[in-house]
Amino acid sequence: MEARGIAMTLTWALPLLLLLPTLGVVAIALGSDPRRTALGVSLLNFIPAFLVSGVVLRQGEILFGPEVSSLREVFPVQFRLGCDGLSLPLLWLTLVVTLAAMGVARAQVKRSKEYFICLLLVGLGGLGAFLSVDLFYFFSFHEVALIPSFLLIGIWGQGDRTGASWRMTIYLMLGSLLLLLGLLGLVFAVPEISRTLDWRVLTETLKAQPLGVKHQTILAALLLVGFGTLVSLVPFHSWAPGGYASAPAPAAMLHAGVLKKFGLYGLLRLALTMTPLGWKEISWVVGLMLAGNILYLGLASLAQRDFRWLLGFSSAMHMGTLFLGLIGGTVLGLGGALVLMVGHGLSAALGFAVAGEIGHRTGTTWMQDLGGLAKKAPKLWFYLMIAGMASIGLPGMANFAGEIMIFFGAWSTHPILVGIAAWGVVLSSVAMLRAIRSISSGPVSVAMTTQQTSDLQGTREVWPFAFLTVLLFAVGFIPNLILGPARPILERLIQP
Amino acid sequence: MSPWLCPEVLLVLAGVGLILTDALLPPGKRTVLPGIALVTSCVLLAGTIWQSGQPMPSSWGNLFVTDGLSSVFKPFFVLCLVGVTLISVRTPMGREETVRSEFLALPFFSTAGLCLLASAHDFLAIFVALELVAISLYLLVAFQRTQVKSLEAGMKLLVMGGLSTGFLVMGIAWLYAAAGTTEFTRILLEQAGRPASVALLLAVGLIVTGLAFKIAAVPFHAWAPDVYEGSPTSITAFLAVASKAAGFVLLVRIFGFGAFALDSVALVFRPILLTLGIATVTLGTLAALPQRNLKRLLAYSGIAHAGIMLLALGTLGEAGMGTVVGYLWAYLLASFPVLITIQEVERIYGSADVRHLDGLAQKDPGTALGLTLCFLSMAGLPPLLGFSAKLSVLSTLWNAGEIPGLVVGVIMAVVGLGFYLVPIRAMYWEREADSVPICRFPRFLVWILLVAGLLQLLLGLQPRPLIRLVERSLAPSVSAIIQDK
Repeated sequence: MEARGIAMTLTWALPLLLLLPTLGVVAIALGSDPRRTALGVSLLNFIPAFLVSGVVLRQGEILFGPEVSSLREVFPVQFRLGCDGLSLPLLWLTLVVTLAAMGVARAQVKRSKEYFICLLLVGLGGLGAFLSVDLFYFFSFHEVALIPSFLLIGIWGQGDRTGASWRMTIYLMLGSLLLLLGLLGLVFAVPEISRTLDWRVLTETLKAQPLGVKHQTILAALLLVGFGTLVSLVPFHSWAPGGYASAPAPAAMLHAGVLKKFGLYGLLRLALTMTPLGWKEISWVVGLMLAGNILYLGLASLAQRDFRWLLGFSSAMHMGTLFLGLIGGTVLGLGGALVLMVGHGLSAALGFAVAGEIGHRTGTTWMQDLGGLAKKAPKLWFYLMIAGMASIGLPGMANFAGEIMIFFGAWSTHPILVGIAAWGVVLSSVAMLRAIRSISSGPVSVAMTTQQTSDLQGTREVWPFAFLTVLLFAVGFIPNLILGPARPILERLIQP
Repeated sequence: MSPWLCPEVLLVLAGVGLILTDALLPPGKRTVLPGIALVTSCVLLAGTIWQSGQPMPSSWGNLFVTDGLSSVFKPFFVLCLVGVTLISVRTPMGREETVRSEFLALPFFSTAGLCLLASAHDFLAIFVALELVAISLYLLVAFQRTQVKSLEAGMKLLVMGGLSTGFLVMGIAWLYAAAGTTEFTRILLEQAGRPASVALLLAVGLIVTGLAFKIAAVPFHAWAPDVYEGSPTSITAFLAVASKAAGFVLLVRIFGFGAFALDSVALVFRPILLTLGIATVTLGTLAALPQRNLKRLLAYSGIAHAGIMLLALGTLGEAGMGTVVGYLWAYLLASFPVLITIQEVERIYGSADVRHLDGLAQKDPGTALGLTLCFLSMAGLPPLLGFSAKLSVLSTLWNAGEIPGLVVGVIMAVVGLGFYLVPIRAMYWEREADSVPICRFPRFLVWILLVAGLLQLLLGLQPRPLIRLVERSLAPSVSAIIQDK
């Protein structure tokens, strides 16, 4: 009884996770120091996250909000939050990347107030989406990040920032509206008497009374295109590389590291569970698309001369491998996808953080101008190596663990795609190693010899990088950190 | 309570009172008039809200009824009046200062017409009420008679309004020929269960055409942008919100539970209304993209919103009618703050060009934030109120199986972002040109916008109050039930 009471009290940690960043936004708007507030709020958020994790590890899930009631309401939206073994890793990913992004963000940026508010809102959007149980809030929270991203790229971006921000916003809006149609379809597919927006209940209903194959196929296709656009699946990818290349480093970290995982999470949670037959029907389309991601974007990444663009392309390319895990249909593959989601989130965040730092310190991210960086800035160079190696999939890091599980998981069902994905590893290795070579051991560029280039200095500048690196290794060595709590849920997911 | 204390009578009395006060006041003291007008409109709003909360009194014969729909929309129109008066008070009048009282009083008459319209239960009553609205508006649109644009707008509205009235009267005549009556319930009883005669269909078509002018639906929309741009901003607001809403209230009444809630009519007019909706939302959205004048932008965005509402209305079910009611309220709450801002922009800079918003986020972050929330709500972004409204339109269409309308609605929602982001971009993104003098907006504007923005957010997250309103509006009128028996 006592333990139950404590658990009930602990459910308040869920809304607290969303409340803290909101309070941070208000505090910054009212004039408190932007960077310190953002950092403090992001760090404080770890406390409720630990509480949530405790409950999830003990009980399997934690829920906050009113009981599901009166399904016949005109507007049956209820503010319900929840977290289980599947959303827990993503919750932590969001918190970690948000903290690192705030650590990397510079206080001296122009209009720092709005800058940090936008960053906090992007993080809040991701967090809310992963914690929402009600489809209305699930969708809405993701959209909260849309306009701040538009502003972040438009105001503080570089290169073709205007074009990049418009393209990204319009693409994401289109993707989300298609997704909205898919969600509406799911909700309306259920007979009116048991209609609900709570995806937990909806999943149970649709599992008990599955829809017809044709119906499922249509809905799965809508969800695929909707979520796929958000995940930058070929051919809906063209917003991603340019958007990330133009975005300021913390925004790119949050977007590539966190928000992109929203689409994958949605597919895993909704499409795979509620329309399994339809998902099987269209899996050949998904296969074609993901092959496009791996081969087309992989080749495109070979041609990049700007380190930021290279990261943008390679980040979009890895989504192909992730999708392979999703269509594999085995627990191993799904688990691998989950691990790779976290690994990719961490490594992409690290990569964009390094690229941002390089761009800031040297004034360029053109790889031929960066020759000799290793000598001038060894620490920066070290983290560049780590990010590069992680994205290649070097054993010992999270990406490797995820990829190998995906390959094994999908081998029995999609051997050809596994072959293509293996080529993807080669392509990304070539691209990344070429970049690293030209930056480290290439001829010392004029820019490097003439300019004063400083390295990361002191703990204050190093910690975000070190933090992400440690976690990359931790997940790489002990993937069970993620798989342990997620495994029962993944098993239930693919059970017919 | 005496039925003579209804909003319509009080509005007319207030309007007459304002003109008389102006005549009786000594010339030096006329500056108090705007204040009186504003206070009067607020008092009327309180009265109307109080009255609509009362148990519904009996109808005035068969001409006017008091039912859910009218009790939800009378406060709507009087709220519009408060906003219009607020903008009018801030309108600089130049040399025409002497005729100011009419500028303040005419919207009262017009609003009385709108309130009558909300309860009208007979096509003759509709005609009279519409004329009361329209004639006041012809005067008001051309009020700044020294400006060519205002005169042009007045002329256009006069011609177009006359044309639309012509269609309407013709329709009513045919209706009388077909059904032998112009009263809603009797038409319904007369025609129920029969196949629709050609005369009846022609009548419905002509009446819908007449109303399509009022709501600026394609292809009867061409007057709207010019008239909106040329009119004084307060009148733009009146046309864009109140007058458009009146058209929709009428459509909801006649197709939802009035004269034409007939299966035979629905069979023909459902595709027609949906096609009108698709055309309207497409043209409104696409034409809004190149606009750089805020008033024109809002005009085209209003056309697009009308299209979305027509799509919901076109499904001709109860869900569609409720959606339109909710959407109108959402539209009112989002567009009025923007119109008030446009007035202030015009007051400072002389025109409503979008570049006057450049750099506003740095000068005046509160105003910029409120305005941004309103624009985003209009664009239909969650978690704002506009999203809930748009969502209910989409789900209505999905439920009714209207896939073409659904697809067009979704695509246009994406394209619409292209112009709703233009002012936001200007506020947050562009730097203010150095030559522009730094003028601050008045404090009250900041508060209005912040409250409006917060309202968008809160109602978006918890739209239950609005849903109550919608449910109330769909409650059938007492008298109609009695007459059915």
